[in-house]
Amino acid sequence: MMHLTHKDLLVWLDLMANDRTLIAPTDVGKEHIRYRPVTNSNQIVFDYERPEMSAKEYLFPHTERLMRIEKRGAEVVLEDLVLHREQVVFGLRPCDAHGFVAFDALFRDREPADAHYVRRREMTALVGISCPQMWDGCFCTSLGGAPDDPTHLDILLTVVNGGYAVQAVTDKGEMLLASAATRDVSDLTPPAIPQNELIPIVPSEAWPALFGEDYWLQLGERCLSCKICTFVCPTCRCFDLRDEPVAAGTKLVVHERMRVWDACTAPNYRTIAGGHNSRPQKGQRIRNRYFCKFHYYPTDYGALGCVGCGRCIQACPVNIDIVEMLKAVDSMCQKQGALGAEVE
Amino acid sequence: MIEQIRAKAKELLESGQVSCVIGYESGTDGGTRPVFIYDPDDVKRLVWNRACYANLTTFLHDKKRPARRGEEAPNVAILVKPCDSRAINLLVGEAQIKREKVFVIGLTCSGMMAEGRLNERCLRCNTRTPVVYDALIGEPPDVEAVDEFSDVQELQSMTAAERLQFWLKEFDRCIRCYACRQACPGCYCNVCEFDRDDSLWIGMQIELPEKYFFHTFRAMHLAGRCVECNECERVCPMDIPLSLLNRKLVKEVSEQYGHRGGMTTEPTPFVTILADGEVSLI
Repeated sequence: MMHLTHKDLLVWLDLMANDRTLIAPTDVGKEHIRYRPVTNSNQIVFDYERPEMSAKEYLFPHTERLMRIEKRGAEVVLEDLVLHREQVVFGLRPCDAHGFVAFDALFRDREPADAHYVRRREMTALVGISCPQMWDGCFCTSLGGAPDDPTHLDILLTVVNGGYAVQAVTDKGEMLLASAATRDVSDLTPPAIPQNELIPIVPSEAWPALFGEDYWLQLGERCLSCKICTFVCPTCRCFDLRDEPVAAGTKLVVHERMRVWDACTAPNYRTIAGGHNSRPQKGQRIRNRYFCKFHYYPTDYGALGCVGCGRCIQACPVNIDIVEMLKAVDSMCQKQGALGAEVE
Repeated sequence: MIEQIRAKAKELLESGQVSCVIGYESGTDGGTRPVFIYDPDDVKRLVWNRACYANLTTFLHDKKRPARRGEEAPNVAILVKPCDSRAINLLVGEAQIKREKVFVIGLTCSGMMAEGRLNERCLRCNTRTPVVYDALIGEPPDVEAVDEFSDVQELQSMTAAERLQFWLKEFDRCIRCYACRQACPGCYCNVCEFDRDDSLWIGMQIELPEKYFFHTFRAMHLAGRCVECNECERVCPMDIPLSLLNRKLVKEVSEQYGHRGGMTTEPTPFVTILADGEVSLI
């Protein structure tokens, strides 16, 4: 097993920061830890749980400029805006990397692939750090993940013996590690991590029978229709697309085509031309969010829309709790199953 | 107090005076959350403690219209703390709710606590009895607080450039989730300027200029209307000190016009009242 001391890790991070964009957990004020670009390893916070926002914004930016549209005389010039600089996201939790599976399924692995996403994916290396524990609300182990799951990362570091056990997962990771002062050490066993309770996940095909349950409208009553849960989610990927002027008031008219995060929980999400809103009720929107995660998306794209990071539970101001919902769904299913058996 | 609250809720539901009681129940996180009680047997779910932060009056907007077409809008009962009660006056004054459709269960309040400490807004609060109610539960606590707007003064003592830096740093964390707007009882426009596809004022980007504009624009629309419940700041996932913006305007309007939002049903001096009693923001 390869080992890296903390000091050598900092040296390696600074080296990487020289020729790529280094993105890492950093304090953005009032003890809020977010993944943000840093220029030096001394800006990185190492004592963190899960940053409040997932790292999705570096593969799927909240505000992504896709194209520049410029009118020059009689001509309209279009220019693709693409990422030119390689980037490393450091300090990812394994669930954050797991979240990209949902993005890959839609934006990369399905024709037509999204050129902007694919480019970012190729230009980005994911360097994770195992979680030292499962925190309140964490349930990654119920969804096929683990606090020390290397699967979706390029490199996984695990804190051990005052340094890190280093695991290169992909060729990209292997190449990045060439500049790190790792040493071969035998017998590096990270301490075992106590597991949180396993949450029952009802299989995708069982969900449609629950669509008409009163539960959804009741759950939706206290929803504020804000966008917190979808914005902090490592798998939510809805967006809005518009052309916006960037140099108004000059003769040179420049527009940019923007792709900006949207959220199915927002009141106007489903409003169409003419003003009709096919999901006017909060309960309908909450139901859609959960059905998307556990039924629609797995059915259409083969990936679950939840990795069990627990962010939405922690961030919701009215305590809409996805774990509580999953347990309720499980018990509704069992009740229906029991009723079905009686009828037979 | 909780037994009186449950008894009142049960009485109102059983008599058919209201079809729903909006209150608090225990959450999964050790705190409380809003609950909507329709069945008199469910009143046991209601709780009342020092963690009942939420201002429930924002949910009255959901009850303005009937659940099904052709029916009448429901009569509801709602639990209000003293600060929340001001929103009842605000919404009645702005013709958003009909006073007779809402049974207000006023609760006296000694302040809400988090991590063993009184919330900041509760430390400076002098309104310990609701300003409007149909039934009052609890004895007014003997608390004297002074609010000299020291937080606003402190910000005011900065230079304009320093203050701009302060706000840009705070707004940088904003994710434009709109939780502040959604939780605010005073933010009820059918189509918010920030949700319009054709808005000439603001684009869709989640970038600093848009975030800065959103927060200042919202604060201006709450001038003389903010009821100081601080719900916007509580729900903010990024801890942006929105109360500072709102309190600046509370201070100005109160000093210049002697008006404080929701203390009575008198609308803010900053609105136009249309002929049918509807209020138009200027």
